[in-house]
Amino acid sequence: MQNRSISIKADKIEKRFGNALLFRNISFNLAKGDSFYITGPNGSGKSTLLQILAGIQKPTSGSVIYKADNSEVERDCYKNFYGFTGPQVNPYDMLTAAENLKFTSPETVDEHLMNGYLEKFELYKHRSKPVKYYSSGMKQRLRLIHALLNDPEILMLDEPCSNLDTSGRDILYRILGEIKINKIIIIATNESGDINLCSKGINLEQ
Amino acid sequence: MNSRILKNIKKDFLIEFRNRSAVNISFAFAGITTLSVSLVAGGTPFPPVVHAIIFWIILFFSAMSGLAHIFIREEEEKNSLFLSLYYTPEEIYISKLIFNVVLFLSISVIVTFLYLFFLQVLPSYKFLFFLTVVSGSIAIASVTTILGAMVSKAGSGSSLFTVISFPVLLPVLWTAISLTSVSIDGSGVQEYRNIIFLLAFSGVIVSVSYLSFKFIWTEF
Amino acid sequence: MKTYNRILFLLFVFIIMPAVFMMALLWAPPAEFLGEASRILYFHVPVACLSVISFIAAGYHSIMILISENNIEEREYKSYNAAYTGIIFTILTVVTGSIWAKISWGSYWNWDPRETSIVILMLIYISYFSLYSALKDNVNRTRISSVYLLIAMITMPFFVFIIPRIYPSLHPDTIINAEKKVHLDAAMRLTLFASVVVFTIFYGYVFNLMNRISSLELKLQEKQNDN
Repeated sequence: MQNRSISIKADKIEKRFGNALLFRNISFNLAKGDSFYITGPNGSGKSTLLQILAGIQKPTSGSVIYKADNSEVERDCYKNFYGFTGPQVNPYDMLTAAENLKFTSPETVDEHLMNGYLEKFELYKHRSKPVKYYSSGMKQRLRLIHALLNDPEILMLDEPCSNLDTSGRDILYRILGEIKINKIIIIATNESGDINLCSKGINLEQ
Repeated sequence: MNSRILKNIKKDFLIEFRNRSAVNISFAFAGITTLSVSLVAGGTPFPPVVHAIIFWIILFFSAMSGLAHIFIREEEEKNSLFLSLYYTPEEIYISKLIFNVVLFLSISVIVTFLYLFFLQVLPSYKFLFFLTVVSGSIAIASVTTILGAMVSKAGSGSSLFTVISFPVLLPVLWTAISLTSVSIDGSGVQEYRNIIFLLAFSGVIVSVSYLSFKFIWTEF
Repeated sequence: MKTYNRILFLLFVFIIMPAVFMMALLWAPPAEFLGEASRILYFHVPVACLSVISFIAAGYHSIMILISENNIEEREYKSYNAAYTGIIFTILTVVTGSIWAKISWGSYWNWDPRETSIVILMLIYISYFSLYSALKDNVNRTRISSVYLLIAMITMPFFVFIIPRIYPSLHPDTIINAEKKVHLDAAMRLTLFASVVVFTIFYGYVFNLMNRISSLELKLQEKQNDN
C-alpha cells in the first residue's frame, strides 16, 4: 500500500444541484507531502467537493485525475488509495468497534495495528461494545481509526474534529503531524486548528 | 473476492441476529398469514389449483414484507456510504442476494410446513413439490434483491416494492402455481422442464442484476 | 427539424390521417359476422402495435443510458417520453380491445393471452412511472428507472413462452384468436395497412414533438445556469 507516488489533479471542477450553482472553476494539484484544506461558510460545498475528489459524487463539469507512479488510475480504484471519513460515513451500530474494523480491513488484518490505533484513540477498553452505545465523540474517534487503519496514501477528512474533545483533537493532530510528510491529506473544515495544520488550501466563499 | 463476500454475508447475518426484529417480523407475517388462511377456510375442501394459488400468494406477500429490508436498513441507518467505501458494488450485490435467498428459503420452509399441516394437503408428487418450492423461492429472492435495492434508494417503502415486483414476478408465480397444482393433484405429466424454466429465469435475472447493480448503488 | 420534413409530417397528421379515418369508417366494407362494429379493428391494431413499439423505444434508450456516457440527457428524456406515449397507447389498446371483445364475444374481458400480455405491459409501465416519481430527489433517478425497464424487458421472452401454456391449464375457456380467423378482403386489408402506417407516423410526430419540447426545456435550464 505504500511507496507509490500518488498525485491528484482537479481541473475546473464545477458543481450544480439543479439550477443552483455550488462552486465552479476549482483547480489544483496535490502530491505526496501536501496537506490541503477546503474551507468556506456552511453550505458552500466543502463536503461535496471532498466527495467529488473521492470519486463518490460526479462533478457537473470538470475532471479529477489520480495518477499512481505516473499512470492514470480508474475511478473505481480510487478507494484503494484513500481513507475517507465524514459525518455521512457511519460504522454499523449493531457491531462492536473491533468487528467494524475487522470488517473494513483486508483479509490479513493486523491485530496489533488495530489494537494500537484503538489504544491511541483511547477506545481500546470499549472495543467490544456495540457502536450504538458510543457517545458521538467516541463514534468520531472510531471513524478516524477506520480512515487511518489501512495506511492509505491519501487521507480525506470531512470535519474531523466535530464532536471531539480537546484530548481527541490532540491525538488526531499528533498523528496527522507525524504522517503528513508521506501522504496527501485533504481536510474539509471550518476549524482554524485544522487549517493551520495544512500547507495550502482553498476557500469556497464566492 | 469470495472471502470478502463471505465477510459481508457474515456481517449481515450478525447484524440481523443481534437486532432480530425485522427478520422476526418477516417470519411472523408468513406464519400468521398461513394460519389465518387455514382458520378462515375452516376445513373447506379446495381443489388443488386453489391450494396452489393461495400457497404462492402467501409466499409472494411474505416476500414483499421482508425481502427489501436488507437494503432499506443500509439506507435508514446511513451505512450505505460506509459500506461502499470498502466493498465493490458487485461484492455487495452477491452478499445481499445470498442473504435474501437464505432468508426466503427459510420463510418458504415455514410456510410450507404450516400450510401442508393446517390445510391437510399431501402432495402426490413429493419430489416435484419440493423442487417447485425451492426453485420458486430462489426465483422470487433473485428478483426481489435487485428491486429491493431500487426501492431502498426511493425511500417509499413496501407499497412501492409490491407494485414494482408484481409484473416481474408474474412468470414465476404462474409457473410455480401450475407445477404445485400438478404435484398436489397427482394428475398430469410431471413437467420437470418448468423447474428448469424457473432456474433459468433466476439465472438471467441474477446475471443482469450483477451487471447493472452499480448503476443503482453508486452515482457513477 | 427541417421545414420540408415538418411540412410532410403536418400533411400526414392533419390531412392524410383524417382521410384514413374516413376510409376506415365509411369506405371499407363491413366484416362478415361483426358488421359495422368491425371498424374498431382499424383503430385497435395500430394502437396495439404502437404500444409495443414504444416499449421497444423506451427499452432501447434505457439500455443506451446504462451503456454509454454520451448524450445522457437526451436519452433520459427520450426514454421517459417513449414510456409516456407507451402507457397512453397501451391504455387505448386495452380500451379498444375490450370494446371489440364485448362486440365479438359478448364480454369485456376474456383472459385471452393477448389481452393478458397487454395488461402486463400496462402494469410494467405503471410500475415504471411509480418508481420514477418515487425517486424524485435522487440523482440517479433515470438510471435506476432504466435498470427497472431493462429487467422488465428481460422478463418479456419468458412471458411469451409461458402465457399460452398457462391459460389453457388454469382456465378451461378456449383460446379465442379472432384476429387470425377473420378473413380480410382487399379493401379491408388496404384500410388496415393505411391505418397502421398513418398511426405510426402520428406516433413519430408526437414523439418528436415531445422530444423537442424536452430539449428546449433543457437548453433553457442551461441558459439560466450560465447567468
